[in-house]
Amino acid sequence: MNASVIELEAVRKSFVMPDGERADVLDIPSFALAEGEQCALEGTSGSGKSTLLHVISGIMRPDAGRVSIGGIDITRLPEARRDRLRADTLGLVFQQFNLLAGFTALENVLVAMSFGSARPDRWRAADLLAAVGLSHRLHHRPAQLSIGQQQRVAVARALANRPRAVLADEPTASVDAGHRRQVIDLMRDTCTEQGVALLVVTHDPTVAAEFPRRLRLEDFNRAAAHARASHG
Amino acid sequence: MTLLGIAWRSIRQRPLQSALTALSLALGVALVVATLVVSGVVTRAFASGAGLGYNMIVGAKGSPLQLVLNSVYLISRPIENVPWALYEEFLPAESRRDGRAGRFATSVRTTIPICMGDYYRGYRVVGTNRAYFERLTGGDGKPFAFSAGTNFRDEDLYTAVIGAEVAARLGLDVGADIAPQHGADPTKIHDPFRVTGVLARTGTPVDRGVYVNMEGFYLQDGHAKPTGESPDADGVAPAPGLLPYAAREVTAILVETAAPPGLPPELMAMELSRTLNEGRDAQAAMPVREMRQLLDLFVRPLELLLLLVTVLVVVVSAVGILVSMVGSALERSRDVAIMRALGAGRGQVLACVLLEAVLLAGIGGLAGWALGHGIVAAIAPWVTAQAGVHVGFFSAAPAELLLVPLLVGLAILAALIPALSAYRTDVARWL
Repeated sequence: MNASVIELEAVRKSFVMPDGERADVLDIPSFALAEGEQCALEGTSGSGKSTLLHVISGIMRPDAGRVSIGGIDITRLPEARRDRLRADTLGLVFQQFNLLAGFTALENVLVAMSFGSARPDRWRAADLLAAVGLSHRLHHRPAQLSIGQQQRVAVARALANRPRAVLADEPTASVDAGHRRQVIDLMRDTCTEQGVALLVVTHDPTVAAEFPRRLRLEDFNRAAAHARASHG
Repeated sequence: MTLLGIAWRSIRQRPLQSALTALSLALGVALVVATLVVSGVVTRAFASGAGLGYNMIVGAKGSPLQLVLNSVYLISRPIENVPWALYEEFLPAESRRDGRAGRFATSVRTTIPICMGDYYRGYRVVGTNRAYFERLTGGDGKPFAFSAGTNFRDEDLYTAVIGAEVAARLGLDVGADIAPQHGADPTKIHDPFRVTGVLARTGTPVDRGVYVNMEGFYLQDGHAKPTGESPDADGVAPAPGLLPYAAREVTAILVETAAPPGLPPELMAMELSRTLNEGRDAQAAMPVREMRQLLDLFVRPLELLLLLVTVLVVVVSAVGILVSMVGSALERSRDVAIMRALGAGRGQVLACVLLEAVLLAGIGGLAGWALGHGIVAAIAPWVTAQAGVHVGFFSAAPAELLLVPLLVGLAILAALIPALSAYRTDVARWL
């Protein structure tokens, strides 16, 4: 077994609801993703999928527990160092792709490089876009690209800083059924080529079925299981 | 990609909004720059009376300011003349026909007569003698220099020297013949005078003058004083063919007073001025004092007002940037959240927003600066006609150097609000 690139231990996260009550969203005794591993996390709406990705990426700090990225416990790091670690070691792909509208495809990749430790590399950015089949769309803005092409830019951007893992939040939610497989294949193949671990959260069982490791969030997030039991 | 590059892309992302903000900044700055430059140049020109080479003007009774504006700046309404006899009172014995020193001869060092009233294609014609260019200075304290040709000789009656502006605007050079028009009547054209010299540019009203030999000037129709009623109409002239003394008048006498040993020339000037002003025929005006009074009365308060307008324009411009940036806050919040998710620190997104304001203020400010100078160049002929001073695209006022930095500084202050908002953006909420 490879060493873990992501490791969670006794992670808890809750939010204060409008009525003043605290709602537990995450209660995860343990979770790990190995170097180069590809894993699908299934979960229904509200099961804490996005919160989990925010906690892993350091955007959100958990109430308790340990979150290690490449062996570094990010819960103990100040925010500025978490930001830098995120830029250097993690690539993010969002449900809405979240490309910067005023930037070309090439610039969207270069922007991600600007926040990492390495110098922005125009050639690498162009190579990444070529790898996802967009060498002819380098200077197009998101509005000039199809949905599928935008998602490809998002994948290239996630790989900009040679991350150790890519986290994808519902990457096929905005893609029509015919192209879902294409998007997943692209992410999996590209991550395999670059030797990067891939964690995809999805509510779509057909997408999850494409991955060698498939987990249901409710199976290891006790907060989600509890909520499901209460509502069930 | 640098933070500056990211800020620039952010500006380009909202082209219309950014262009309108920059345009409003540019217009404000252009207005201020144009006003500052013109006001500064005019003020400096009017304050330069100390370098004329004379400290007193003697002319007909009336407004001393009008006498100064006419004689020094070649503007304002024409004034009446004074008798030749008064001019002779300033001359030493050897320069007078009766061989006796004039009443004020010992009080003065230089005396230059000027005769006015004619025009050449819109420019004032000044009849004078060659000593004008030998003894006086152009207002900048430097002796007159010729860019072409030489001074005219008093013996060559129909000769002239022209200012740099006149030569450039009318395409005149040495050897050209110029025929002045009598007064405001374009149908009465005098004999032509031949240009013997073109003065080097002085940046003063001298550049706009057409200086003709006074003896030739006197021989033109309508320039001789009717002598029928004159009790001393003796017909004596300086030389055969010249206008008799009795028929002569001068518009003004430019005087540099002598300095008694151990005393400043101003003291002599005050004394002479008092004596002249007590008489019935003439007045003495001191250009420096007249212009200082004009500046103190009108120009300084206007400068203060201008300073206030400048500050207001800059503040309004900064508020414009704030409004523009706050207006795009929603869009910006999403972009900031994306950049933060990609690993941008709070300090970096804050810097991006501030740089955006700096770029907008810089672009608008510099465009406005250029536009302002363009306006100055465009209205230069009008300013020259009204104030008698030369301005151009590259005329500058010291205060304008502060304008763009001040604008950028205030833009940074204004952008602190959206920048802090970007700093505090809740990433999870916007993704």
